[in-house]
Amino acid sequence: MLRNAKSGDSLPVIEKDIDQDRINRWAKLSGDFNSLHVDIEFAKASRFGGTIAHGPMSLAFLNELMMECFGKGWVTGGKLLEVRFVAPTRPGDKIQITGTVTSVEKKGNDLVCNCDLFIQKQTGEKTVVGKSVARTSEEN
Amino acid sequence: MTDEKPELLFSDLPVGRSFRPLAFQVTQQLVDEFMDTVGDRNPLYSAAGTSIAPPGFAAIYARLSYLQDHTMPPGGVLAKQEFEFHNSIRVGETMYVTAKVIESRIDEKQRKRVTFFIEAKGQDNVLISEIRLYAIWPK
Repeated sequence: MLRNAKSGDSLPVIEKDIDQDRINRWAKLSGDFNSLHVDIEFAKASRFGGTIAHGPMSLAFLNELMMECFGKGWVTGGKLLEVRFVAPTRPGDKIQITGTVTSVEKKGNDLVCNCDLFIQKQTGEKTVVGKSVARTSEEN
Repeated sequence: MTDEKPELLFSDLPVGRSFRPLAFQVTQQLVDEFMDTVGDRNPLYSAAGTSIAPPGFAAIYARLSYLQDHTMPPGGVLAKQEFEFHNSIRVGETMYVTAKVIESRIDEKQRKRVTFFIEAKGQDNVLISEIRLYAIWPK
């Protein structure tokens, strides 16, 4: 849990390996069997040159990070804003999900913590960018 | 497996169109599959008797809410997404998810832009989440 957060603090880093098996399992879980994700030959011939991970899986990763930072408070007031998919994630990528606290404001007994979030590949290329707003208490 | 549902086309998505509510049951099996797939081992999702649904489920039920009777035509792009979480939902409960088209237009680059507003409520009508999904529609 994020305690006494202040502007400029780095968020924890979550690391994931992306492979075709994980993409296939997300397809089954979400019901999204778009050929770009699961059909290797089709995807090879596409403008992506190979399969890519589902965008919503990245949203699940961002939520994992927010739950690690803010616990149950995330599901009772958290906001993910302006989440944009700026580059595809592919099998073989190792990604990091993290961010930075941009401001903390006191509102009543709570602290409102604003963060910039991003997912990046091992090369440093960002795949997803966004912002979050979460309420937390000074004790948390 | 043949999917005989028709494609959901841009012409099917005028502003104001709403979709029938999706009943999304949060089972422990679904949660376990989610945890395995995402690699998210948060104990809040597997605490005996008190486990809650991962908020990442929102990324799944948002899409399903407008594709119950249609398939997604290939080539679409998820441009942006926003989530507001209001309440947790316990494992074993059912959410009812409704989607409505709030923007449908051709932009200056002739791209077909569609925005959905999606709302998930619990069995007792408690608001769980609100989602805005901005897509570029393929056809």
